[in-house]
This record gives sequence, structure tokens and C-alpha cells, in this order.
Amino acid sequence: MRDIRRSGRRDSTRGERKYGLFQVISPSRSAKTGLPLWLLGLGVDRLRTDMSRLLALLFHQGVLDEQFLQLQQLQDESCPNFVSEVINIYFHESEKLLRNLRGLLSDREFSDYKKMGIHLNQFMGSSSSIGAKRVRNVCVAFRAASEQNNRAGCLRALELLEHEYCYLKNKLHEFFQIEQQRVLAAGVRYPIQN
Amino acid sequence: MATMQKMPQSSLGAGSSNYGTCKGCEVIVPDQFPAGLRVLVVDDDTTCLRIIEQMLRRCLYNVTTCSQATAALKLLRDKKGCFDVVLSDVHMPDMDGFKLLERVGLEMDLPVIMMSADGRTSAVMRGIRHGACDYLIKPIREEELKNIWQHVVRKKWNESKEHENSGSLEDSDQNKRGSEDIDYSSSVNEVTEGVLKSQKKRRDSREDEVGEIETDDPSSSKKPRVVWSVELHQQFVTAVNQLGIDKAVPKRILELMNVPGLTRENVASHLQKFRLYLKRLSGVAQQPGGIPNSFCGPVDSNLKLGSLGRFDIQALAASGQIPPQTLAVLQAELLGRPAGSLVMPTMDQPALLQASLQGPKCLSVDHGVAFGQPLMKCQPGMSKQFPQSVMPADDINSGFGAWPSNNLGMKGASGSLAGLSTQNSSAVMNILQQQQQPQQQPILSEPGRSINVQPSCLVVPSRSATNFPSGNNPASINQASNYNRSAITDYSLLSPQSSNSSLDVAPMLDRDPKTTGVPSGYSAPNSISSPASSGSANVDNVSNRQVQNSNIPFTASRPLTGLTPNASDIQTSYGPRSGDMLDQGPLRDLGFVGKGTSIPSRFAVVDPELPVANLSSERFYGENSGNRVKLEPNLDFVENDKVSAPVMQQFSPNDLMSVFSE
Repeated sequence: MRDIRRSGRRDSTRGERKYGLFQVISPSRSAKTGLPLWLLGLGVDRLRTDMSRLLALLFHQGVLDEQFLQLQQLQDESCPNFVSEVINIYFHESEKLLRNLRGLLSDREFSDYKKMGIHLNQFMGSSSSIGAKRVRNVCVAFRAASEQNNRAGCLRALELLEHEYCYLKNKLHEFFQIEQQRVLAAGVRYPIQN
Repeated sequence: MATMQKMPQSSLGAGSSNYGTCKGCEVIVPDQFPAGLRVLVVDDDTTCLRIIEQMLRRCLYNVTTCSQATAALKLLRDKKGCFDVVLSDVHMPDMDGFKLLERVGLEMDLPVIMMSADGRTSAVMRGIRHGACDYLIKPIREEELKNIWQHVVRKKWNESKEHENSGSLEDSDQNKRGSEDIDYSSSVNEVTEGVLKSQKKRRDSREDEVGEIETDDPSSSKKPRVVWSVELHQQFVTAVNQLGIDKAVPKRILELMNVPGLTRENVASHLQKFRLYLKRLSGVAQQPGGIPNSFCGPVDSNLKLGSLGRFDIQALAASGQIPPQTLAVLQAELLGRPAGSLVMPTMDQPALLQASLQGPKCLSVDHGVAFGQPLMKCQPGMSKQFPQSVMPADDINSGFGAWPSNNLGMKGASGSLAGLSTQNSSAVMNILQQQQQPQQQPILSEPGRSINVQPSCLVVPSRSATNFPSGNNPASINQASNYNRSAITDYSLLSPQSSNSSLDVAPMLDRDPKTTGVPSGYSAPNSISSPASSGSANVDNVSNRQVQNSNIPFTASRPLTGLTPNASDIQTSYGPRSGDMLDQGPLRDLGFVGKGTSIPSRFAVVDPELPVANLSSERFYGENSGNRVKLEPNLDFVENDKVSAPVMQQFSPNDLMSVFSE
């Protein structure tokens, strides 16, 4: 009861006096009260914390760098979904590039390192533009191997690249999921309890 | 005196307060500048394109995006004076960024800033040597983009200073001319005028700046500076050739050109650019080996050469433009390739022509050359028609829609342009005949032979020339690999209609990514399905699937946007890209048409990277790698749904289900 009152107070401080229930995504419950998060005002903050924590982790691991922050800063009212939009484009393009690279290298008689270099160049450019530092670094190594016409090295680099890319993609998906939850939670209308 | 002038320049309002008091060297920079700077961004990488577009918008610039260099060139040509600066990526599939840079520099004289992920010193050096105003390394930061206006101002100031030196007489002319809305194409004074006017316009009418784009009146030149049109450049080149490249001095060139209103300074600056351009080409055109050296065939008569040339030239003419640079490129490359000199013997042409006759056999495509290299590197040693045809293929792509029908039907070749082409030919012949022939011939013949066989350029040129209108070449078709045979035969059977219809699609696609850059690009895919339906089944399915698959990512991202679906944003940002890919789809397949049929189709598919080239070359040699590689892009779209489906599943079911559960 105390918690609900607390949440009610929090509601009033925020000036939300609307009725109606909106469920937030996951029915995660607070450990203490056993109530779903959305009923508590903690929802949005908790999600925001989760996002920050995830980002901090990715920065620490070197998966992302400050270019990603620049990307976030580019998002504004005129373009509210800029980051997710660009990241989706990046995924789409990158998978194409990875498939091309895989296709090039799986041919035993492959000799067109120049073409591979071009794919790599594009991958490097887009990865660095969104701040995918680790992916970009692998691309640099990949490019070095391809310039030496080192097929084995290229294969190894490609595997590493695919691994890094998958990891990045999963983490970014997770990030956007939390982001979406946060957006929904921010729009939650809390029922007013007396 | 203060005069109100209606400026043909786009996005600038009218009005200048103290024009009369300003002399040439003073350029007032208004406060709001550089807001409203009109930037054209060209990058095939959609991710970067979108990011840079957003960054530029945040800098309050007026942004237009383009994912294809050919479309960008077309846009620049159609809307001369509508852009202040061009940002271009270095590595692009349809045209090398440096080639675009040179074209823009020669034709439109805009500052071009290059971008690349490759930040190594060698690459940056290359950019500088090609004359880029600046070279940005990806990832590009917003701060760097904020500064690009300086290049615009610097260039204009340097130009105005250059023309300032032409004397005080012209100052009074400036004042008089300022009050008239005249055709600016031939007077140097307007350069300075333009500088002054544009600066004042910006200052005086900031509110009118952004968003006011005048698209009417395309006939009059909008930029008040010397426009080096095709004819003008042709006269220039003729004069230079007459004098000899070493002895060409601006004064004599001017006399020879005999163009009223042209000043020595115009010629001098143009000559400088021209020289730099040639130098770069001759330096760049040193290609490593890898090209088969066998040369076959006796020397053909010039008559045959001429007839072929006419065909090609008509093809060129139909494209609507023969960039004068093609001549320069042609000359420089032909000349630069073998011995670093600037001239090539005439003998090579017939020899190369003969080599081209052997087309199907000689398809030892130089992979190194076919991929990732600007076309010009492949061309040295080719007969003059072929380089002429191939080099401007990039430009022809831009004039794509009108062109194939012209060629296939052998109609619509503008007489003036054809005449100009022959003029070009004669100029080239002059140059070629100036040099010693026998020694260089063997050297030249070798690259020529292999290069002539480049699938992208031509398969059986002589035959295609003769079969120009109809263009069915069973020989080349039979050589097609199994994989592509159906596509080829489809195309060859339907060639006039299918190429026409498919090609009709292309202009839509070409145009779409350009002006508004974004929203129109998305509408293109939907319209593709119908015209492309008359094409081969392969292309059809691919295109249709492309259309549908391109939709899937959009819906996938909608749940992400949650409460505020911005599908339009996402779609539009995809617009250029999907349009781009779709564009390439039918274009690639059209390469098959080119094999069997006429030169036009060949032009249609020219890329330096040339997926089609690779395909056709692979086809002839039965290599699988090329096929697998090249066809992947088509398959990419087919697999789109697989790629994006996980995304969709990840977001929407969770969200939707959880809303209704519990």
C-alpha cells in the first residue's frame, strides 16, 4: 500500500491525472512490491538506467565509440527516430556486404581482391560512421590481408568480422528494445489511487 | 546604383542594395551565411548518406542527396547554378569519385569535397592531386561539415580575383550588365557579378533563400560565369590541338577560337584545368599488366572506323551530351597509356577495331581493370570510338532514359551533336596523326585488344555496329553460361521492347534519388514492376521481389518507432538505396542485352566495377565465381525478407503480445 501511495504521489508531482491503463511491454515486477513496473514510476528511469548501462558496457568493450553518441545527438524533434533508422539501414547494408564477402571468399579460385577491397571500404565507412569501432578495426585488418592477397588471412578476418558484427547487432537490438520500452513507459498513464 | 535584379539563380531572392558601389574585389559576406548553402551529397553507402544528410541539415544547409554518381552528374547538369558545393565519396560503383570530381570541376566549376573511409596518406594524396578542395575521412563529424562553406567562398574569391586582373574596363561593363537579365554564358564579367550578387542576395533576403528553388527556365544559364559548353570546349580543344599541347598559349588559343566575349583569362584558367586533367590522366593511366598481349588482325580502313564511329557517336549523341572531357580523356588515355605521352598513333585504331572483331575470343577480361577501376584505365589503346563510347557511358547513364530508344531505333540522334561528334573525331584524328605510328603500335595493340573485349564495352563491336538497330548476336549469346542464358535470350528476343521498357524504368530511378533525394526515391520501386514486366522473368522476379522486400524492412522498423511511426522517414531514407539497387537490377540484366544486341545496351551497363562486365566475362569463360558474386546482389533482395524478418519478429510480436497479455 505504501508503495502505491508513493507511486501515486509521484504521479501527482508529474501532474498526470489521467485514468486508463496502458500496459508496458514486459510484465517485469519490482522485487520489493511485486507490482508490474509500469504501475510504478520506476519504469522509465529503470529502463533509462538499463540503456545507459548497456551503452557503457559497449563503450567499455570498445564495440562502440563516441561516433555513436554523435549519432544520438543528431536525433531531434524533426527526426525522432534517426538513430534506429540509420542503424537499420546499416544492418541491411552490412549484411549484404558480408554476404558478398563470404561469396567472394568461398570461391576457391577467387582472385579479385580489389573487389573485396571495395566492399571492405564501404563496410569500413559505414561502420565507422555509426561508431562501430570493433567492426571497423576488423575491417582494417581484413583490408590489410586482402591487399597482401592473403586468402587465408582474409577468411580468418571474415569470420572475425561476422562474429563482431553479430555481437554488435545483438547488442544494438537489445538497446533498441529497451529504448522502445522506455518510450512506451514514458507514455504510460497511471491510474490515480486515492 | 541600386538595381533590383531577378536572379536566375535558384534559392536566392531578388534585390541588391548597393551593387553599384561594389567593385570586383570586394565581396561582402552576409551574417546568415553559410546557412542555406546548397550542398549535393553523393555516396553509394546509404548509411553514410543518411548520416551526412542529417548533419548537414543541422548545419542549416540545403541538402540534396544522391546515391549514384551518374544521377548526380545529371542533376548538376540539369540544374546548373543550383548547387554551391558537392560532397562525393571516392569509391562508388558506377563512377569513380575522382572522375566525378574532374567532371564537375571542368563543367560546372564547383568545389568538390571528397570523402572516404580510406584515410591513408596515399589515398588523401590522390585526392589532392585530382584537385579536390578537401578530403574528409569517415567517420565524418559535424564540425567538419560546418566548415565546408569556406571552400565555396574561397573558390569564388579566387575566381573573382582572377578576373579582376582582366582590367578596369570591365568594371564599368559589370555595372551596366548588372541591370540586365542577359544570357551569361559567354561573359567573364558575370563571374564577379555572380559572386557579388549571390553574397548580397544571401544577406538581403535570407528568408527567401531556403526552399526557393527555381526550376523553370532551364534554357538560360543560371550561373553567371563562363560556361564551357560542349561546343565551346570543342573549339578550345581544336585550338589546342592545332597549336600543339606544348605550345598552346591562352592568347593564341583565344585567337584561334574566335569566340566573342571570351577573354584571355577564361581561356587561361580553362587551359590550366585542362592541363592538370591531362597530366593526371597520363599519370594515372599507367596500368600494370594483366592484359593479354596478343594482337590480331590486319589494319582496317579508316572507312570502317568512320562508320563505326558514327554509330557510336550517334549513340553518344542520343544520350544528349557528349562531355567535352571525353575527348580529353580519350586523348589523354590513348596517349598516356603506352608511353606516357599524350598522343597515340592512328594505326592503333584500325588495329584495335580489328581486335574488337575478334571480340568473343578475346574476352580475357582484365579483372583488375574491370573492378574498382575507373573505366578510363581500361581504355588506352582502344579505338577512338570505343573510348568515346565507353568513357561517357557514365554520362550516358545519366541520360539513360532517352538514349536506348534512340539507339535501338536509330533515331533521335541530334544532327548537331552528330556533327559535333564528327568534329570531335576529326580533332582526335588530327592529334593521332601527329605522332609516330609504327613504334607505338605493337605496344598499344596489346592493351587495345584485351580492352576492346571488355564485356562491358562491347562484345562484338563490328557485328553490333552492323546490327545496330536490331542487334541479335547469336554468337555472343551462345557463349553465355547456363546461369544467365535465360536472361540473355529473354532479352535478346525481346530486346527492343524489353530494353526500352526496362530502360524506361531507369530514368525514374535515376531521377528519383536526386532532387528531393528522398521521398520520390521510394515511389520508384513500385512503378518498376509494371514496366519491367515486359522484361525477362529473371528481372521481373527480382524487381518485384525487390519492391516487396524493400517494404519489409520498413514495416519492421515501425514497431521500433512505437508511438510515433515514422515510416515515411524510414522509407524515404531507403528510397535512394532501393531505387539504386533496383536501378542496378534491370541495368545489370541489360548488360545481357548489350552482349547480344547493340551498343546502347552496352553503355547502359557500364560501371567500373561492372558487375555485369564481370558476369559477361565470366559467362564467356565459364567461371563460376563471377556469376555467384554478381548475381548475389539480386539474391540479396530475395533474401531481404529473411534478414529483416528476425527484426520484425523481434520487435513487433513481443511488443504487441505483451500489450495484450497479462
